[in-house]
Amino acid sequence: MQDQLIVFLEAMYAQTGLAYFSWGNLIMIAIGATMIYLAMVKKYEPLLLVGIGFSCIISNVPASALGSELVQANGLFHYAYQGVALLIIPPLIFFGVGAMTDFAPMIANPKLVILGAAAHLGIFVALIGAKVLGFSLAEAGAIGIIGGADGPMAIFVTVKLAPHLLPQISVAAYSYMALMPLIQPPVMKLLTSREERLIRMKQSRHVTRLEKVAFPVVIGVIVNLFFPPVAPLITMLMLGNLFREVLVVDRLAKTAANDLMNVIIICLTVAIGSTMSADTFLTIDTLEIVALGLVAFVFGTGSGVVGAKVMNLFLTEKINPLLGSAGIASVPIAARVSHIVALKEDKENYLIYHAMGPNLAGVFGTAISGGIMLALLGVK
Amino acid sequence: MTIVPDTLYGAVLLSVIDFGLSFVMIAGIGIVLALFPLLNRLGKIDEKELRKGGH
Repeated sequence: MQDQLIVFLEAMYAQTGLAYFSWGNLIMIAIGATMIYLAMVKKYEPLLLVGIGFSCIISNVPASALGSELVQANGLFHYAYQGVALLIIPPLIFFGVGAMTDFAPMIANPKLVILGAAAHLGIFVALIGAKVLGFSLAEAGAIGIIGGADGPMAIFVTVKLAPHLLPQISVAAYSYMALMPLIQPPVMKLLTSREERLIRMKQSRHVTRLEKVAFPVVIGVIVNLFFPPVAPLITMLMLGNLFREVLVVDRLAKTAANDLMNVIIICLTVAIGSTMSADTFLTIDTLEIVALGLVAFVFGTGSGVVGAKVMNLFLTEKINPLLGSAGIASVPIAARVSHIVALKEDKENYLIYHAMGPNLAGVFGTAISGGIMLALLGVK
Repeated sequence: MTIVPDTLYGAVLLSVIDFGLSFVMIAGIGIVLALFPLLNRLGKIDEKELRKGGH
């Protein structure tokens, strides 16, 4: 009787996750919990971090439904991940972002658009770094694009260049985007003087409805003409923006910006978090990718600020160099960081509107870099 | 077909070309945007009218 009870309990134990727990699982659960903490307490991009953190925790409970082969092959989490892997979710995110975004700051101040390219040095520093570490050129390109600080674009380019690295790269991209309020300010302060951070920007000109309607159409044509490899993303961004600006399809614009976007965010965060199991994630490659992602963000932030300072050498009306770091994309996180860093020096220096110009240009900068990279690597 | 070799030299080459071309292309978009105020010579959109017939 006693022997049977022990056998029974052992069988029960073997069916629970406890029997398969590893230190790796505990580390990943701690990482997931930290993400939820940062979202709740520090308010770092809660829309992203809560879902990613929770799915990360659950996917590291051995034998959990999330991790079982049955669910991985058939369930909701499997299809959420397929939405990412089959490049359905990234264009839909851009669609929603387009419907939410007013591109007037970019249209009103075209000279700041160049910062959208300047802040992308990080892509290439990470790319070369990845090659030095032994990754193939295609893998290095996918890792480098983390520095574009544009989640959907990072996913898009990675699926084309190195699909096996998708979990690591998407996690690195979205985690660093969420952590930009921690990463960027020290670099921005290091590269600017107090006097530079105090520079106030002149009020931008008014952008008319006609210009706002023309913008998505013109950019849509340009991108499809010159950058077909990344056209699906930018085309959807511009379609969403056209819905917003034409004023006659409010219902569609609101759905794209709110309901659809919320559903997509849920799918995206669950899909990314569910790939963070210890056995696939705690590898040397992942650590290298995460480190290179950080390098990319630091260099991108720095090159944007330096780019703005170089522009000031030629401009009679100086711009605040804190705008430069907003060129790293990650709308609107990077613009918000520029705004907050400026506010810490001068409580009445509101940079947010001006920072949105280079921030939005950064989206195009990342798309252009990604498009050129795909073309040079012979990927369609 | 890959245009650049899968070497460190290829990575540097890819980076230089990509970074340089990105500047050129973004500058091109900047120039196009600088011309946008000219669109206003074509006329003005009546926003109230648009909102009235909207869905």
